[in-house]
Amino acid sequence: MADSQYILEVNNLCQHFSSGRGKKQLTVKAVDDVTFGVRPAETFGLVGESGCGKTTTGRTIIRLYNPTGGEVLFNGRDIAGKMNPDLRKYLTDNIAMIFQDPIESLNPKMTIEEIIGEGLKVRGMKDQAEIRKMVVDMLRKVGLVEEHATRYPHEFSGGQRQRIGIARAIIVKPKMIIADEPVSALDVSVQAQVINLLNDLKEEMGLTILFIAHNLSVVKYFSDRIGVMYFGHLVEVANGEDLYKNPLHPYTKALLSAIPEPNPITERQRVRIDYVPARDHDYSNEQPSMVEVEPEHFVYCSPSELAKYREQIAANA
Amino acid sequence: MMIDRNNLPEELLNLPDSAFESLHQEDIKDEKFQTKPVGFFKDAMIRLSHSKVSMLSVALIVLIILLAIIVPNITGYTYVEQNIELKNLPPKIPVLCDLGIADGGRVLEKRKVEALSDTSRYPEGCIIEIVKEYELKGVPMCDVKVDAYVYQGAPDDQYHWFGTDYLGRDLMTRLFQGTRISLLIAFFSVITNCIIGVVYGAIAGYYGGKVDLIMTHVAEILDGMPYTVVAILFMILFGAGMLSIVLALTITGWIGTSRMIRAQFYRYKGREYVLAARTLGVPDATLIFRHILPNCVGPLITRTMIAIPGAIFSESFLAFLGLGIKAPNPSIGVLLSNGQDVLLQYPYQVLFPAILISVLMIAFNLFSNGLRDALDPTKRGEE
Repeated sequence: MADSQYILEVNNLCQHFSSGRGKKQLTVKAVDDVTFGVRPAETFGLVGESGCGKTTTGRTIIRLYNPTGGEVLFNGRDIAGKMNPDLRKYLTDNIAMIFQDPIESLNPKMTIEEIIGEGLKVRGMKDQAEIRKMVVDMLRKVGLVEEHATRYPHEFSGGQRQRIGIARAIIVKPKMIIADEPVSALDVSVQAQVINLLNDLKEEMGLTILFIAHNLSVVKYFSDRIGVMYFGHLVEVANGEDLYKNPLHPYTKALLSAIPEPNPITERQRVRIDYVPARDHDYSNEQPSMVEVEPEHFVYCSPSELAKYREQIAANA
Repeated sequence: MMIDRNNLPEELLNLPDSAFESLHQEDIKDEKFQTKPVGFFKDAMIRLSHSKVSMLSVALIVLIILLAIIVPNITGYTYVEQNIELKNLPPKIPVLCDLGIADGGRVLEKRKVEALSDTSRYPEGCIIEIVKEYELKGVPMCDVKVDAYVYQGAPDDQYHWFGTDYLGRDLMTRLFQGTRISLLIAFFSVITNCIIGVVYGAIAGYYGGKVDLIMTHVAEILDGMPYTVVAILFMILFGAGMLSIVLALTITGWIGTSRMIRAQFYRYKGREYVLAARTLGVPDATLIFRHILPNCVGPLITRTMIAIPGAIFSESFLAFLGLGIKAPNPSIGVLLSNGQDVLLQYPYQVLFPAILISVLMIAFNLFSNGLRDALDPTKRGEE
């Protein structure tokens, strides 16, 4: 995937956590050998069940964790290497993050103005009036009013707080946003509001979004391309439409079969497919790897599985 | 109307997407709030002012501090002025003395009745009343209550509200001068403890890992030192005085604060808002002092306020053991220690310092409890 068409390239990224030492050492491979690319101005959705490493992937890219292996290229520059002030600046100027929990992600002891204006201050802006003006502009952009700037987070509802979180992320004009389950803590009507706001901002500012979520319908609505993660591995990457119509990896099929249908009649006919890695894969002879099965459609599979998938596609066509 | 669920019309089963209409409104417009913005501290202060006990204790603390500032200047005596003739005088307060309370009276036991008229031994007007008359080996004897001021030859207009000590120094002046010194020692040691504890705990808690391991063990080793011994060593090194006492109270006093701050940092450093600030490139120092520390302020203030009476008490304890500040400077502990030597003869010498230290301790403890409740309403009433 070493194409320069990608703004963000993640190559063989590994994030292992270990505790103890010697014989007692325990290693958890939270993210293992993950490879994907994100194109400029697209939304890349990352889905998977709880604990599969989606959030860790996002946090590793923005360097909240130090990756244990692999490389991450942003506009061709490696951002997974050794941290130094220059790289820190490059990273924070280009990538911002939106967090999952709207209550947890705003400091309760700071006013909204301080929270949103912080990124500007870090970048050396000193003029209070100018910061104030930019903060107010940003508040308007996310649908809040000027008067909210002097308030504390506890006075806002979940949706409002999430919009404040978005304002904080975009005020520094990043090229890319990592949205870590930005709507999963909100109720459905507010989810739509926040998603649409993100969509508008994306078009207005030409943002690239790495959208991490476990809600498949939200991801389907919002993402251009989708990556499916399972147990630290990326198992399938495809265009949104393609993935939903033509899932290849058994885990993707299982995941898609879990989406409830709005129509009660078809919902009753829906069959859950379960995914048991030991039954669905035989990796005793062959090692699986990420393969482009058809254009724009990557699956983590072994050569024999690849042949099977190709047959499947041919049969469908 | 009943719907046959298994026999729905075909068009209901396959509704096209165009049949649905989005209810989402394009524009989000929020109203501005009707209430006034209330910050964390303002909120806490409102809660504090609603608590009667806290306000009472604040009043007591302020009163004692004011007394400590004012009284030594207006009694007309200094805390070092000695008059050996007027030693151990009982309390005598104007107005009250006419009512028979605090009248400077002292009961002299086993006096010969015939000697009472001898003005060279009993100056005129010194005898208030004869408490008891009896015979001892055939001699008429009595217990007589005299005005100690006249008896010991003090001028008529001399009053010592809390009496005098064994060197004839005015005890009220000495008590409030002592309160000054005790409070100063307490504030100095507590502030030093607070600063060292916060910085140490913040570094250990924020960086964690090996840094934390080493720092925690160093603190543990220091904690193992018996502080009385350390106090004595400081006395030897620097001489008796405020410096040695403050140092003795500081050497181990900050460890509790640093442990608390460390725990708070462990609790808050993984919060999403701290991570969010990190993704914005906020430097470590700002993260520590701007993002994490303000969340520890509640427990920190509470702990500091609780430490003040603790420090006063420790100082008194050291003074009681004879490790107090250098004579002739008084402190509450020094006065208690001196008064305790003559507890049976002149109980008032220990009474007033004892009352003052008790009130001070209770007021500070109640105030810190109130403050804790105000800063963290979820912990209301916990001990």
